[in-house]
Amino acid sequence: MSSPTLTLAAVGEVGKGFIHERTSETLPCQATEKLFCFDWAKENIDRYGTPTLQHLELVSLAVLFGFTIAFTLAVLAHRRRWLQSPLLAATGVLYTIPSVAFFFLLLPLTGRGVDTAVIALTAFNLQVIYRNTIVGLSNVPSSVKEAARGIGQTDRQILWRVELPLATQEIIAGLRIATVSTVAIATLAVFAGGGGLGAPILQGGIDFKTNIIIAGGIAILMALAFDLVLLTIQRLATPWERVARA
Amino acid sequence: MPSDELTEKSTAGASPVRYAGATKRYPGSAKAAVEELTLEVPAGEICVLVGPSGCGKTTAMRMVNRTVEITEGDIFIGEQSVRERNPAQLRREIGYVIQQIGLFPHRTIAENIAAVPQLLGWNKERVAARSAELLALIGLDPDLADRYPAQLSGGQQQRVGVARALAADPLVMLMDEPFGAIDPINRERLQNEFLRLQAEIGKTVLFVTHDIDEAIKMGDRIAIMREGGRVAQYATPAELLMDPADEFVEDFVGADRALKRLALMRVADIDLWKAPLAEVGQATAEVRAALEGAEVPYPLLVDDERRPLGWLSERDLAGGQVPARPDSPLGPLLDRDDIMRDALADLLQGEAQYAAVVDGEGRIEGVLSVEIISEFLASPEAKTEEHSATERPRE
Repeated sequence: MSSPTLTLAAVGEVGKGFIHERTSETLPCQATEKLFCFDWAKENIDRYGTPTLQHLELVSLAVLFGFTIAFTLAVLAHRRRWLQSPLLAATGVLYTIPSVAFFFLLLPLTGRGVDTAVIALTAFNLQVIYRNTIVGLSNVPSSVKEAARGIGQTDRQILWRVELPLATQEIIAGLRIATVSTVAIATLAVFAGGGGLGAPILQGGIDFKTNIIIAGGIAILMALAFDLVLLTIQRLATPWERVARA
Repeated sequence: MPSDELTEKSTAGASPVRYAGATKRYPGSAKAAVEELTLEVPAGEICVLVGPSGCGKTTAMRMVNRTVEITEGDIFIGEQSVRERNPAQLRREIGYVIQQIGLFPHRTIAENIAAVPQLLGWNKERVAARSAELLALIGLDPDLADRYPAQLSGGQQQRVGVARALAADPLVMLMDEPFGAIDPINRERLQNEFLRLQAEIGKTVLFVTHDIDEAIKMGDRIAIMREGGRVAQYATPAELLMDPADEFVEDFVGADRALKRLALMRVADIDLWKAPLAEVGQATAEVRAALEGAEVPYPLLVDDERRPLGWLSERDLAGGQVPARPDSPLGPLLDRDDIMRDALADLLQGEAQYAAVVDGEGRIEGVLSVEIISEFLASPEAKTEEHSATERPRE
């Protein structure tokens, strides 16, 4: 295994002030190959406050924008069927572009910072949310739609009172996948200058496992928390899905 | 208040429905799905549109609430042309029941029933009161009001479907094979319930089915349709069975149409035989004398209220007096208001030649025999008996 100094050299400027100062002191733990240094963790946990908040902001904004855009597109495409395939292809392309590549593509246009990161993460989100909304809407039984029309609901009433409520489960399922993926991908936002939990990982270097475990652990907890919130919303919003069948 | 206005309109009762050359042509199809349909359904009657699949009966029905748009011609509800109405508003005044029921899975039973009143902007108290009233009308436990449709059986769901259609007291009801997806036992029950309900509410109903037996049972009038929505015959059930307009109708009604007629008659509608009666303790010589020339070869033992007790055999008459215990049990006992078809079934099932018919108090009215029924079915004069009472089929 390489020595701390070698690692530092590989990370270059980014690592300055994170491990460098520490290693110059005599801290035995992270100078060794130990998996996790509790002492260091206890002393330095407050370093992760800002990156965590940044990460939260990145994910929230990206999911919010992603949902707004994808949901609107899906509702539009539900009315105008011919839009469905082109939109699926377009969001598919955005989904496939590697996030890091996307950041670098955007840099000349939007510069380094949160904006660039949020734009790329939003674009990444569209596909899943769009597809799930379309699937949810098309899964509404035609008999229910026919009845709604037959009793005199207008197209708009059918959409808002029948189709969207019945698609809620699928839509939120899409949101959950999108949110959890975004929490993971947002660790790359640091390459766009967007901060987040990727920053301490990048700064600490690949050999400083305690740091990676803490930053990664926070990201996992954040993903679980988001998922739990969305799952709760899903259950509260669709009480009819869990009734005992006759 | 706008809601009051709507209420007044919606409680005006039933309206006649008149097709005036209504035509439906689908683009790219040479033949019209429904060609110049002209038909009048009187207010408060059930008109059944029946025919083989693809004959255009459902299309014809759906033109009324414009879930299928009319290409040419028009349909009038009362004096009002449906083509001049806003489709969504029109539909709120027309009850709509479909085979797949189509209850809103995400709404409770009460909310499902309240769907149309809500669209009409009724206030909460009125919607709730109407919901409760309808639950009672369709005989559903009030505890089910807060359940979701998935928690109800198919039969219960379709009752709710009917209640939803009735909620805003519509002028007209459209029922598209409403009981088609229900098992036979529940279907019969739902049919009977609906007929009872209809006797109370007297709506104008357009009822689509492919089942001629259901049509005969449910319809005040039946329009037998062939492809292109052309009416082969429009008549009362009795008329259809007695006097099919052409071979198509005859085929569709089926070879057993004579038997089907029995479904339309009650026991009291036919001339019964007089039974020779006997009372306990009566002299057997007297009873034997009464048997001479009687249509029924056995005397019927009755009590002092003339309620039948059983049949007397030769052995019973061997003594001087009529014994208290008759040799043969009574067998099937019929009410004068029983449906003739059921009466025949009782006779066949009881392996009996004769059945005593009683009135509401259980007193003997006469005797029905298998022979009477077969003679009735065979006699040409019987076939014209009811014919004169009903009007000629219109074309």
